[in-house]
Amino acid sequence: MKQAIRLLAGLTAALLVIGAAGEAVAQKRGGTLTIVRPTDPVSLEPNLETTAPGAWVYFNMLEGLLTLDEKMQVKPALATSYEVMSPTKVRFKLRPNVKFHDGTPFNAEAVRFTYDRALNGKPPARWASLAGSLAGAEVVDNLTVDIVTKEPYGPILRTLAMYCMGIVSPTAVGKLGADFSRAPVGTGPFKFVEWKTNTHVIVERHNDYWGDKALLDRVIFKVVPEEGARMLALQTGDADMVLFPSPAQLPALRKDPKYTVHETTGIRVVFAGLHAGMPPLDDVRVRQALLHAVDRKAILDNIMEGSAGPALGVLAPGVFGFKDMQLDKLYPFDRAKAKALLGQAGWTPGPDGIMQKGGQRLSLSWLAARGRYPKDGEITEAIQAMFKDVGVEAKVQVLEWAAVFQQVRGNPLNPHMFTLGWVTSNADADYSLYALFHSKQTPPTGWNTSRYSNPRVDTLVEQARRSLNQTEREKLYGEVQDILAKEMVWIPVYTTKEIIVTRANVKGFNIHPVEYNLALWKTWLDK
Amino acid sequence: MLTFIVRRLLLAVPVLLGVVFVVMLTVDLLPGDAVSLMLGEHATPQAVAALRDHLGLDKPLATRYVQYVGRLLTGDLGRSIQQNRPVASELADAWPATLELTVAALILAAFFGVGAGVVSAVWPSSFFDTLARLGSLFGLSLPVFWTGLVLIVIFAWWLPWLPVGGTGSPSHLVLPAVALALPSTAMIARMTRSSVLEVLREDYVRTARAKGVRERWVVTKHALRNAAIPVLTLLGLQAGQLMGGAVLTETVFAWPGLGRLMVKAIFARDYVLLQGAVLVFSLAFVLVNLIVDLSYGALDPRVSRQG
Repeated sequence: MKQAIRLLAGLTAALLVIGAAGEAVAQKRGGTLTIVRPTDPVSLEPNLETTAPGAWVYFNMLEGLLTLDEKMQVKPALATSYEVMSPTKVRFKLRPNVKFHDGTPFNAEAVRFTYDRALNGKPPARWASLAGSLAGAEVVDNLTVDIVTKEPYGPILRTLAMYCMGIVSPTAVGKLGADFSRAPVGTGPFKFVEWKTNTHVIVERHNDYWGDKALLDRVIFKVVPEEGARMLALQTGDADMVLFPSPAQLPALRKDPKYTVHETTGIRVVFAGLHAGMPPLDDVRVRQALLHAVDRKAILDNIMEGSAGPALGVLAPGVFGFKDMQLDKLYPFDRAKAKALLGQAGWTPGPDGIMQKGGQRLSLSWLAARGRYPKDGEITEAIQAMFKDVGVEAKVQVLEWAAVFQQVRGNPLNPHMFTLGWVTSNADADYSLYALFHSKQTPPTGWNTSRYSNPRVDTLVEQARRSLNQTEREKLYGEVQDILAKEMVWIPVYTTKEIIVTRANVKGFNIHPVEYNLALWKTWLDK
Repeated sequence: MLTFIVRRLLLAVPVLLGVVFVVMLTVDLLPGDAVSLMLGEHATPQAVAALRDHLGLDKPLATRYVQYVGRLLTGDLGRSIQQNRPVASELADAWPATLELTVAALILAAFFGVGAGVVSAVWPSSFFDTLARLGSLFGLSLPVFWTGLVLIVIFAWWLPWLPVGGTGSPSHLVLPAVALALPSTAMIARMTRSSVLEVLREDYVRTARAKGVRERWVVTKHALRNAAIPVLTLLGLQAGQLMGGAVLTETVFAWPGLGRLMVKAIFARDYVLLQGAVLVFSLAFVLVNLIVDLSYGALDPRVSRQG
């Protein structure tokens, strides 16, 4: 019997090898890929839509000058090369012989038109705030364009590579007017076919695409709001791909040969933020004690159950400028250490088990949403219990996201703590380290909700923003993260994982760390 | 008759104006702001202010109300804040789906509810009566998102007869209509049962039986017609509730109806879209109630239509 099993295992392994070898050569063309996801797009044009439901679709239809591949490297798309002309000007050579889906040629004027419409439109594009100092584009000749920034802007390349920077056809915009947002025309490997509100969006292969043409004939993006129903659609074969799969079913699906679970570390860090501008959290020892009090590994193992990765710092590993903050070494889970640090800060155990100082109990108010980020409510509760073990009381207020958003965005901030997730949208450290930790970036200007203030950090992030030397920038951001690691104003909890489940016959799909970048042109169906 | 209808429709106008005001006020009082939700975490305060200004959201509530009603009088429902698309188009996309689902569920609920109720009342404490009462207890207690999923598991997965969700063919309608109809069927069955039981104890039923009318006639002609009024009232209310209460069913079965549109509008604080959807609901509710009132007269000549 044992031998039979061994033989079987050997055979399976051999088959797998053959299968893998076969896959490399036998790409098949044709077929329709059906995707189920929870919500309908707001719009199919980036100027009105920066959230995932629309981005998933238009990322396959519109292309920018540059793109970010799944290894988080900047790659050419509609531009073939670039040259830094001055600290505020980068010159791009454009790809020749590219046509929009409507047959009109792609050129420098289209680039100028796209950015002018987005940045100077009334109102400006919804991504305008994401684009930082981007001022617009100037036509040099038909296939050369200068990208201009208001001030020297280091993150410019990754900004131009963002999912929402797709170039649109000026002719189509003129012709369609407001309807363009429901039927966009770009240069991408897929083109628009139909959008039935709250039902589906259909795109099909663009046969005049400049690069490798898409392998699929069509892609149907269906709306299935209910998680259980989405998983059933995959199981019955009504769908080939599920976005936002049910985390509870992943362990079973990983083992099931009928499905493939695609996963990669994302770029969002979910954390419990600390208000460093308000006592008692203005004392760094109290903040450090809180970090020691939290068993991050237990949260990952027991609450996230493999659907998230560890938080290695305030940035996710895929982000340019990321440095591992060595949190496990600096702040291991250690209740005794936590209590000792609180003791150093003058807090002593009170009669009810809660620490106190001068008659004041160590009680922290905490604002959190439930359902905004995976398991945010559960995590907040778990940390609340862990705090209690070291004599810290957390009074949690759970509100709907819109209400939390308004309060966290408010000034002054009343709660001591808040649960948030931060995604570095342009994949450049500037985006997070500047807006979150520069002392002038407190709300409503920026997102320094922790009211963190350190002149050295201010200097470093300013310097890194103005430099176009990427090696130098990386070094500066490294130093910022070293400082932040000592003065922690967050309890980083986890880094999101991007997880997509397909049926096993869906091949060639590469999941991207940036949720919005759902690239489907290399995907094919093995019938 | 015509005066009655016109009067009732005119009375609907202040109702609808009130509805608009309440919706506007509620969205205004809710924490959270449409523009900052739309622009997301990363928006600069300037960008938020500019968009608020562009959308006219910086104006006081009263001004916005007057403007909205003014536009409404010209038949303009405005543009959705979040999607920058005419609300009328959004509603036109969603409304037929909701109507289709509601009508199907209502027909199912009326047919099976009244049927089961009458049989239960005619043979009280019989095996069928016990079964129907137990069934209606389940129907009332089980939440639709659960029954919906169970129906999908049984009829779309184990027995792959029907699609998991979505629209497109009559077969797509079956499961959502059944799931949506279940609680209403149960309620109508209970109401019909008690109403028929009560009427069967009336003197005129005894008289009818005494003069030798066949039992079938007693039930259908004498009892049922008189028992129908409370059932009809309930049916009218259910029609309104089915339309508005279809949110969960629409969610489970990916049905592109008004309920989901409204939930989306609420989460985005898109008061223009929300108002449009609520207006349609209110109008439908008013109409259904009018139809119910009119049919009272048809069932019972004593109900006066003059006035």
